[in-house]
Amino acid sequence: MASPVSDTIYIKADKNTEVTKPDVTLGDVLKIECANPSVLSRVKTLKLLKFHHKDNKKQNRTAVSILKVIACIHEVYPNVEVQNEGEQDFIVTLEEQKTPGGFVHWTKVIVVVAISFTGAAFSIMAFNNDVDVTKLFGQVYELMTGSKSDGFSILELTYCLGLIIGILVFFNHFGKKKFTVDPTPMEVEMRLYENDIQTTLLETYSRKEKELDVGNANRSGNSGT
Amino acid sequence: MWAMQIVLAILGLSAGMAAAAGLFSFIIGLGVISDFADRTHTGDHVLLYETSVALGGMLGNIFWVYQIELPNSAWLVPVFGLLAGVFVGCWSMALAEILNVFPIFIRRARVIKCIPYIILAIAVGKGIGALVFFYNGW
Repeated sequence: MASPVSDTIYIKADKNTEVTKPDVTLGDVLKIECANPSVLSRVKTLKLLKFHHKDNKKQNRTAVSILKVIACIHEVYPNVEVQNEGEQDFIVTLEEQKTPGGFVHWTKVIVVVAISFTGAAFSIMAFNNDVDVTKLFGQVYELMTGSKSDGFSILELTYCLGLIIGILVFFNHFGKKKFTVDPTPMEVEMRLYENDIQTTLLETYSRKEKELDVGNANRSGNSGT
Repeated sequence: MWAMQIVLAILGLSAGMAAAAGLFSFIIGLGVISDFADRTHTGDHVLLYETSVALGGMLGNIFWVYQIELPNSAWLVPVFGLLAGVFVGCWSMALAEILNVFPIFIRRARVIKCIPYIILAIAVGKGIGALVFFYNGW
């Protein structure tokens, strides 16, 4: 079965891959490049792991070391050289294909929107109360004009205006309209958060020695957290 | 007199922008909203959530500064209370998380098991604390 020619296979893994069927092949989770097309198509169909539905969880997840992938390729082509251009460990998540549950999904979205809206309103009011903006504005008004403020001077009006400008500039968009091409702070925060989660998952798997790696017998997917 | 009004206008404008920048980078930096988005698996709607936060900040501030009264809005009070409570609860725990309170305490006290109970205790403690605070009118 082994091919006598020595080819170089280039592989590249993403940190987190989602698959939809329990039998995972190399082509499902990796980007593979090889000068020899027959080797390439054979390697793509190599089996990497199989998920079991042990506790009937909707989501199954496992971490895989790139060494396992290389071992997998070497089983069939012992002579090829494998070059890894991507991550050294990666997560494979089995997500059962389900129709994006319309009602539940939108209920969640609406609840989060409501919490964010109320929370932001609450925090700005709490902030204003905490630093006593009313009193401060009264003092500043008196200092500048010499007369007592009635509480609704130009200061309050421009404060509201400035706050609106500040928020819009900070978030960099309103609705679907973006002001510059940069990602918004939330998008950045979301990616950072996902990165943290992935790093944590990988380290947890590797610490519990549940990672699919060479040198342990664990060949099937674990139903992890 | 007019010059003073202009100075006041500039002052108010800058104060608003500075307050917005500080407060909202705090909200985003603590990751409260991205937590919500992650827990509910609705990460593709972050832009919507962001708009919601922005709107909440703007309207909340206008309502607070101008003391606008909403007619027939008594039913809104418990809704506002509940949602604001959820938000502040997440906020306070996110703050503790950012400051590495838990890893340090767990390491120092060598607690490895029962961490879920500790978290439950913190949550209940916060709730009771808030109740005592309001009951006594502090």
